[in-house]
Amino acid sequence: MSWKDLAAMPWDLWRRQVAAIQRLELKKNLWTLRAWWIYLLALGPVILTGAHTVIELYRPHGNTLAEDSMVFAGMFQLFYLRLGIFFGCVGIFTNLFRGEVLERTLHYYLLSPVRREVLAVAKYVAGLAAAALFFATSVAASFVLISLHLGTEFREHVFRGPGLEHLTWYVLVAVLACAGYGAVFLFLGMVFRNPMLPAALVMIWEGINPFLPSVLKKASVIFYLKSLCPVSLPPKGVMALIAVETAPTPAWLAIPGLMLVVAAVLAYAAHRARGFEVSYSE
Amino acid sequence: MNEAAIVFDNVSRFYGDVLGVNGVNLSIPPGVTSLVGPNGSGKTTLMNLMTGLIRPTRGTVSVRGIPPDRPHELFRVVGYCTQFDSFPKSFTGYEFLFSYLLLHGMRATEADRRALEALAQVGLLEAANRKVAAYSKGMRQRIKLAHAIAHDPRVLVLDEPLNGLDPMARAETIALFQQWGEQGRHVIVSSHILHEVDRISDQVILLSHGYVVAEGQIQGVRSEVSDHPIQILVRCLRPAALASRLFEQDHVVEARITDDRRGLAVRTRDADRFYLLLNRLVVESGLQLESVAPVDEDVSSVYQYLIGTQGGAS
Amino acid sequence: MAVYKKTYRPYDGHLTPSWSRFLVVARYAYEDLRRSRFLSFFFFASFLYPLGCAFTIYLRYNLGVLDAFGLAPPKSFAIEAPFYLTFLGFQSMLAFFLNAFIGPGLVAPDLANNALPLYLSRPFSRAEYVLGKMSVLAILLSLMTWVPGLALFALQGYLAGFQWTMSNLRIPTALFAGSWIWILILSLLSLAMSAWVKWKPVAGALLFGIFFVASGFGAAINGVLKTKWGHLMNVSHLIGSVWVSLFEEPLKRGAGAVFFRVAFGEEIPIWCCWASLICLCLFCLYLLDRKIRGVEVIR
Repeated sequence: MSWKDLAAMPWDLWRRQVAAIQRLELKKNLWTLRAWWIYLLALGPVILTGAHTVIELYRPHGNTLAEDSMVFAGMFQLFYLRLGIFFGCVGIFTNLFRGEVLERTLHYYLLSPVRREVLAVAKYVAGLAAAALFFATSVAASFVLISLHLGTEFREHVFRGPGLEHLTWYVLVAVLACAGYGAVFLFLGMVFRNPMLPAALVMIWEGINPFLPSVLKKASVIFYLKSLCPVSLPPKGVMALIAVETAPTPAWLAIPGLMLVVAAVLAYAAHRARGFEVSYSE
Repeated sequence: MNEAAIVFDNVSRFYGDVLGVNGVNLSIPPGVTSLVGPNGSGKTTLMNLMTGLIRPTRGTVSVRGIPPDRPHELFRVVGYCTQFDSFPKSFTGYEFLFSYLLLHGMRATEADRRALEALAQVGLLEAANRKVAAYSKGMRQRIKLAHAIAHDPRVLVLDEPLNGLDPMARAETIALFQQWGEQGRHVIVSSHILHEVDRISDQVILLSHGYVVAEGQIQGVRSEVSDHPIQILVRCLRPAALASRLFEQDHVVEARITDDRRGLAVRTRDADRFYLLLNRLVVESGLQLESVAPVDEDVSSVYQYLIGTQGGAS
Repeated sequence: MAVYKKTYRPYDGHLTPSWSRFLVVARYAYEDLRRSRFLSFFFFASFLYPLGCAFTIYLRYNLGVLDAFGLAPPKSFAIEAPFYLTFLGFQSMLAFFLNAFIGPGLVAPDLANNALPLYLSRPFSRAEYVLGKMSVLAILLSLMTWVPGLALFALQGYLAGFQWTMSNLRIPTALFAGSWIWILILSLLSLAMSAWVKWKPVAGALLFGIFFVASGFGAAINGVLKTKWGHLMNVSHLIGSVWVSLFEEPLKRGAGAVFFRVAFGEEIPIWCCWASLICLCLFCLYLLDRKIRGVEVIR
């Protein structure tokens, strides 16, 4: 296929169709009361860190910037990455196709003049946009709120110190987590009638990742994401004894690697979407 | 290949071991075509095949020269009103139409105009801002119809579109079908209401157990059903006299005087010869006829003869 | 006017007792479950651990068997409350997984396919409907938890003698009560989630989410606010605390059942644990009351 052929493709039409699908998906699945649990997952840490700042302002416990950074790192790696973003992506991305089949509304898309490949990609983009918006905003807000009580010291840390760089990395990792997990769960939602069972297996696999041998560790989204976190969290207590230390993957490898996984899953999704048939029986 | 037709070329579709349709060869011209058959006969399967919602196990389908596996081309010319009574949650009628029209790549103003036009055509303009989930059954049926017609397609595939409609709405919808048929569009309708099928259809396709049993204009189909003699009702003053002359003919199987003694119900194996005979009798004996009309040249009768009680629900 | 011979008569035969009608719902639910080979396999595999425990109890009172295998008997081999607590913890975690597979499929399909009006237009109440669905879970989870637990206690009682049995009656009481608390919470949660989201897979995910995400968020609360009250969101911590109090075990490091450990130094008053669990059950009942209706009004 030459550049001329590529240029001759109806990009403007596809762009409008992708925008239309985004609009539909956001309206159906996210700007509704039904998505309350995603709002909760994203807002919970924000409320928590906000409460922490308020408490520190009126009844200071003498928290330092270093302590707050470690606490935020722990919350990010243990709550956001393993639970909040994970479950948020399970709900958003498995719903993209499997949810439509369960609600018996997939045929409306299949009866539109949209290429099935464009449909698959557009749905993923819509899910990613929503997940990234929720969780990146939540991460940024939590990062700011957790140390806001420190006033000038925190401002110096952000604008003159490594704070802004840390914030950027945290937001980027959150977006990459949404992209990586999103691709995995889009794949599971298309392949399995009940994607929750394999999602549970993925959760267990990600959970035992610290204890796996180095080779097996690399077959995990969280392994690459942890490598990109600006503040590392050393294992404590018994975990320190049984965790397997592996050299972190550099960013120039981790990010393209994740993107490659996403591209591969999208290519598969596009291919599979071409053969979609409507069969709503259980 | 006839590019103005919908063509099924030796199409079969199996659902595992269950037969959907088998060995279907059809060329459907523009106009109103009705798919008639009992439950489970393959009507919805045929519709799903022609719109690409399912793929044939064997054979090929083309809709005005477009194969169904090119949805980006097909659904610019095809609109499908399916049997599924489900809608995206929390959408109003207007939003439902508007949002899916945007998928065609239309600008918002164009999608808005078409959505309102479609709503007006099906009589839902006043309910446009109510949630579809709050609509009655008839309203839900009409919004599905509006969704199928909003982008002004050349081919309309309508799976039991009159379900749940009140008599006024049915009459208006039937008028719409006839109007579209006259405009040279394909209107494929499946229905169980045979007298309405009679009224609107230019041609019918009868299905039973996944096989096409008959297709074409109803008069033509009826004339080929030779197992069942044609029934003709002749209204005249002297039916007995007419009957006595008819019994001399070998193609007349039965002649029965009606209860009011002013008519004669005749069953004949050869309608053409019967009409010729009738002409001769009128000229020779001065028989005065009030009316002559075939009684069973309709879909209901053909359905009974070809499918009858064998075509029960499966 | 045509005259029609009336042959229809209402049924006037024997009626089943009204108190048992909720079991009709359970009967058909079991029919569905029997068809799943994975569930049948999982259910029967859950008896492996109780069998192992029974063998351990037998060995404890027949140490000569170890001699026969040339093995030295362990110095202390007491089978007391901690043994049963561990048993309860392990079986309860298996019960959680079985509930996560079965529970979401009990109510969600009825709501998604609009079957509730069919149930509720009969002389059948919403409470009977919920009771029928709960009985499916209650019976299966009982067979996994307190039933084998009491059988183990009976075995040990037989081997250890009447004196031991009478002085350890708190163990079967704690097993029975502890199991039923867990069964009640699991079944109410899964039915409520199933009714709320109407989709089987999503209800299952929500169940996992409630346990894991809530406990994770509780840990985040404890970490950020330097408190212990985050454990109020950790259902396994709450249940572990209740069990420890039922078994009258001392609160020390590692107290609680496996998977239901009580964080040492971060214990919450027992009345708070009970209150949290009761609030959770009441919330589930509220959700069921909102969703198990014959008619849904959409404005």
